[in-house]
Amino acid sequence: MKPVVMTENLGKVYNPGSIPVTALRNATITIDRGEFTTIVGPSGSGKTTLLNLLGGLDRPTSGSVCINGIDIATLKDPELIDFRLWNIGFVFQHYNLIPVFTARENVAFIMLLQHRNKQQIRERADQLLDEVGLSHRRDVRPAQLSGGEQQRVAVARALATEPKFIIADEPTANLDTAAAMNLLDIMERMNREKQITFVFSTHDQRVIERARRVITLVDGAIVTDRQHAS
Amino acid sequence: MKTLLILSWRNIWRHPGRSSALLAAIISGLWAGALTIAISNGIYQQRTNYLINNETTHLQIHHPDFMTERSPDLTIPQPEVIVSRLAQDPRVRSFSPRTLIDGMLQSPVKASGVRIRGIDIVAETATTGFHRQLSAGRFLDQSTRNPLVMGQALAATHNMEIGNRVVLVFEDTRHELTAAAFTIVGLFVSPSRQVDRTLVFVRADDLSSLLADRFISHEIVILLHDIADADTVAADLNTRFNGISARTWFELSPELRTLIDYGSITLLLLTTVIMLALAFGILNTLLMSLFERRYELGMLLCIGMGRGKLFVMMMLEALMLTLSGAAAGLLLAAMALNWLSSTGVDLGIFAAGLAQIGYDRIIYPFLHGSDYATVVFMVIFTTLAAALYPAWKALATNPLEASKSR
Repeated sequence: MKPVVMTENLGKVYNPGSIPVTALRNATITIDRGEFTTIVGPSGSGKTTLLNLLGGLDRPTSGSVCINGIDIATLKDPELIDFRLWNIGFVFQHYNLIPVFTARENVAFIMLLQHRNKQQIRERADQLLDEVGLSHRRDVRPAQLSGGEQQRVAVARALATEPKFIIADEPTANLDTAAAMNLLDIMERMNREKQITFVFSTHDQRVIERARRVITLVDGAIVTDRQHAS
Repeated sequence: MKTLLILSWRNIWRHPGRSSALLAAIISGLWAGALTIAISNGIYQQRTNYLINNETTHLQIHHPDFMTERSPDLTIPQPEVIVSRLAQDPRVRSFSPRTLIDGMLQSPVKASGVRIRGIDIVAETATTGFHRQLSAGRFLDQSTRNPLVMGQALAATHNMEIGNRVVLVFEDTRHELTAAAFTIVGLFVSPSRQVDRTLVFVRADDLSSLLADRFISHEIVILLHDIADADTVAADLNTRFNGISARTWFELSPELRTLIDYGSITLLLLTTVIMLALAFGILNTLLMSLFERRYELGMLLCIGMGRGKLFVMMMLEALMLTLSGAAAGLLLAAMALNWLSSTGVDLGIFAAGLAQIGYDRIIYPFLHGSDYATVVFMVIFTTLAAALYPAWKALATNPLEASKSR
């Protein structure tokens, strides 16, 4: 089976003005289906850069990123947007829900972009909200939800398109312990039951402890890549 | 598309205060603009109707040089042939030959320069409505020898009353001075102070017999069934008859043309100001919204919403906001016009000035269907033009904005 994510000598150099800044160098990673991986490291170590490259949000200056066998660096911008829609789910530190939509509409919206059947969208949105424990809050807008609830809606949205993998950038950074644990429980259960691949970046020890693989970055380079016991 | 429409509509109301302020500006701007156009329409319509009903009618026939020289011998050749032709033309509703001369009106008090209009009473009353402006006495009839109708204002300056006699002095077709006494049988008050002080009516037969030894016409005024036929009827007459000049009401009313041209420029300036204000309002609102929502727009790109849809979303926000404002503004304007169409707008404070130039103090404003369509078109065009820059900026959003800290 092809790996979900495969990078080879991945590098990113930012060049604001004339002084080049190397954010990532020679990152070679393979992530298989069903992995529950965290990328850790101090601030400025390149975690977010790596995630952005894996998510097709940024383009590498060297090396390649293959998602499900497709080198996404070769895709044009509209193709890349479409690729993200069908292949990658995103969970952001600041939840980034659409504030004028209800929880259900937030989850349904991304499926509407996929032009799915409306009945199917409604049923799947309700099912996902049920799975993240928010079926009773589906008609509520984000402003009326707690941080933990918003992040659970974001997870439901990320799962809605049935992506190859989900990228979560510091998903628990703004959550209290109970909400963070609840979120991790949900993501772990999705990973275990549905073999959904998760890749996190985090500083949060609670996330690191729950991950089965921890990749450590320092100064833009991978220094350790360890498997944890489940 | 339905989802984009819903999203755009709800985005508008994220900041109800800001959107309401812009909406109020659009509504009041369009309401005021529409009323201004409607009042202008009312002024033009009133002036045009007045001119057509009382002065020019739809068409006039003269000797080609009469309008510039106004000499008594510049008469219409063979008027009976033209009259016969007009009587057979199905496009013509009615017509009236006139005998015209400029002269002096003398009373025991003073002398005044006047424009003397000799008319065929039956034909004139069928063609123009001046007889309806009588304020006292009666219009010309056959019961009095040399009857005369004059403006009440002119009568006042001469201390004349109905039944008094005045003398008209003028040059005849042989360029000799002629004078005759006329009896005042009626007084009129028109919307124009100028007309009230300078125009007098007498019978065409009376005037012709003083000017020449035969019936003469200097002018034939023609009322058509349809004003739209004016150009073609004038062209037909000019082609068929030599030695005459048939002109339409529009050609005969330079002041109306000037008024319409001036009004058009004023309206263009006013419309430009309203549309510029609308454009800057839209631009400001969308740019602020773009700045506030850059994380969210980045997120939409992240999760797979195409840049085209992002562009359409921004344009829809602008369009829905302005179109709802335009609809409300025009609806309010239509309601106001519905009320004003019966009461009119009383420009009483300008009444004296308006009377000097021949306008009623009460204006009945109205809008054509095409005016509404033009306003809506301009609003859409302005909105789309103003929204282009913010929408283009939205297109340039980097999806990385979604993961930035705030």
